[in-house]
Amino acid sequence: MIENTMEKDIALGQVSIKDIHWMMDMMQSIDVGLMVLDRDYKVLVWNSFLQNHSGIEASKTINNNLFSLFPDIPERWFKQKADSVFLFKSSSFTVWEQRPYLFKFKNYRPITGSADYMYQNMTLIPLMSSDNEVQQIGVLIYDVTDIAVNKIKLEEANAKLLNLSKTDHLTQLNNRGAWEVSLEQEFHRSQRSKHPCSVVMFDIDHFKNVNDTYGHQAGDEVIRRTSKLLQETMRKSDVAGRYGGEEFGVILPDTDAKNALIFTERLRKKIEAEVVEHEDFKINITISLGVSQLSDDCESYQMWLEQADKALYVCKESGRNQSQVFAKNS
Amino acid sequence: MTTTVLICDDSSFARKQMARALPQNWKMELNFAGNGVEALEYIRKGKGDILFLDLNMPVMDGYQTLAEIVKDDLPTLTIVVSGDIQPEARARVKKLGALDFIKKPVVGDQIETILNNYGIALEQDDSDKPETKQTNKIGVDLVDCYQELANVAMGRAADLLARFLGAYVVMPIPNVKYTEIDDLQMALHHIKADDSISAVCQGFIGSGIAGEALLIFNDTSYADIADLLNYEGADTEAGQLELLMDISSVLCNACLNGIADQLDISFSQGHPKVIGQHIHFDDILQGSSTKWKQTLTIEMGYKIEGKNINCDLLLLITEDSIEALNDKVIFLL
Repeated sequence: MIENTMEKDIALGQVSIKDIHWMMDMMQSIDVGLMVLDRDYKVLVWNSFLQNHSGIEASKTINNNLFSLFPDIPERWFKQKADSVFLFKSSSFTVWEQRPYLFKFKNYRPITGSADYMYQNMTLIPLMSSDNEVQQIGVLIYDVTDIAVNKIKLEEANAKLLNLSKTDHLTQLNNRGAWEVSLEQEFHRSQRSKHPCSVVMFDIDHFKNVNDTYGHQAGDEVIRRTSKLLQETMRKSDVAGRYGGEEFGVILPDTDAKNALIFTERLRKKIEAEVVEHEDFKINITISLGVSQLSDDCESYQMWLEQADKALYVCKESGRNQSQVFAKNS
Repeated sequence: MTTTVLICDDSSFARKQMARALPQNWKMELNFAGNGVEALEYIRKGKGDILFLDLNMPVMDGYQTLAEIVKDDLPTLTIVVSGDIQPEARARVKKLGALDFIKKPVVGDQIETILNNYGIALEQDDSDKPETKQTNKIGVDLVDCYQELANVAMGRAADLLARFLGAYVVMPIPNVKYTEIDDLQMALHHIKADDSISAVCQGFIGSGIAGEALLIFNDTSYADIADLLNYEGADTEAGQLELLMDISSVLCNACLNGIADQLDISFSQGHPKVIGQHIHFDDILQGSSTKWKQTLTIEMGYKIEGKNINCDLLLLITEDSIEALNDKVIFLL
């Protein structure tokens, strides 16, 4: 635009050489990178911003090929963008999300800034010659480091928050909400894939007695230890959650009831053998576990969970410290 | 006998532009049709010796009309007048028997030159100028003008996109309406609320007209686009972002320049912003200040023939720009 107006004004005799001088001065001192390239990617303009950030003076860049000056620039990528500017006579834009930078410059604020380099947006503009052909393109380099860093930090913070909102504080397992979401997903996945899948509900026997006898801190320690043993026993693909006070749920993908029972018995024996020491007390605990393998007639994940809960109830009725598989006629 | 001239275009604004471009001193009877079906009726009654035919129209488009003319061997000379300036469109209508192809908007003495080239001479009539009277009869509403403006701009963008992708771009009629910002999604034809989309927006401003160009890309389109461009890495987030930015550069620029050129103004364009990848339409307006209750929305849906590629370019123009826009549009009438 500036160039067009200038051309018009020059044609009208309204711009003197003196005027061109201060216009060039402005182009030099503007805090945006300005570069002009010809069709062979030879540098024709290299303003102060680019000189100062690259540490390479204009006298070293002018009339030299961009890619020999800066071998780090992805030549194929850059040419693809530039070619469409030459061909279509229309601007092209890139953002830092595509590539953080074209030129690897230091952060403009090397002391207080947190990024190691300058994030850049780039605009390529067609520069028309008098015959209405594009013989040169203008390259504008904008410093967007602050915008980029803020966005990256915001995304990190959001990811952290999301994780926090899904985690049970005491055990670091999934909280009830997050675990139920996983259960629902697994319910639909297994229904589709027809792979066997089991869910386990278990709780700590006579947990109320632990709290009443040894205090709530001892109770917390028992829950923490139980969840630690659970995490040591389960596979990576299993999903465990703290369902309620002393109640836990585990999803066992690709596992039928028979294999689920092997898992529950292993966990039960581990916990039975564990002694939780709190202050001067030595606390022994046991757990009861209900297993339900997903069946075709199970209509919802809630129903599936209820079946595991029923099996757990059977354990309680039959003396605790044991595993039971849900059976329809029970 | 007086020559009958028929102008067929769904836009009253385009009909008026076309009528004005006809030589003033011709002796002729001028008729107007809003779609192909109407045009064929006129021609069958002998009221369309020369037909100026638009391509993108509802009910029956230009291609179908041409095919009918060939099929029934109707007595008319057809000149296609279209905003769709893809070389492929020109080739297709020529194949269907059109005499020539003029790109919109029609200007100056283009028509006379073409008719002279084909040796078609019309009787001169110096006594009065019925044509002027006839054009004045066409009432034009502003939405119609916007639509035609958009149609021409869209044609230019489609041409660039076609060259960029090396494929034929199917160009439907742009959809122009005033919408409440909150109802934007419902007002759109091509985008459903639960479609997985990617979006880029770019602000523009100039001569008192401000707005945003919003490119919405259906995520199901990436595979076929990558195929056309012989592009590797389109299954990655980064690769898709490259494609998205390239296409938005091509479409937004061509379209905004197309509008600006017709209005004889120029826009400053902001740097495009990636709103998000794999999002839903609702996410686009999240975090916006909703300062504007209403917007003039121009929706341009692009499809690639034979491919599963869908993208929409929306021009959203602010309420307070309408006056400035109308001032410019009136110059075109």
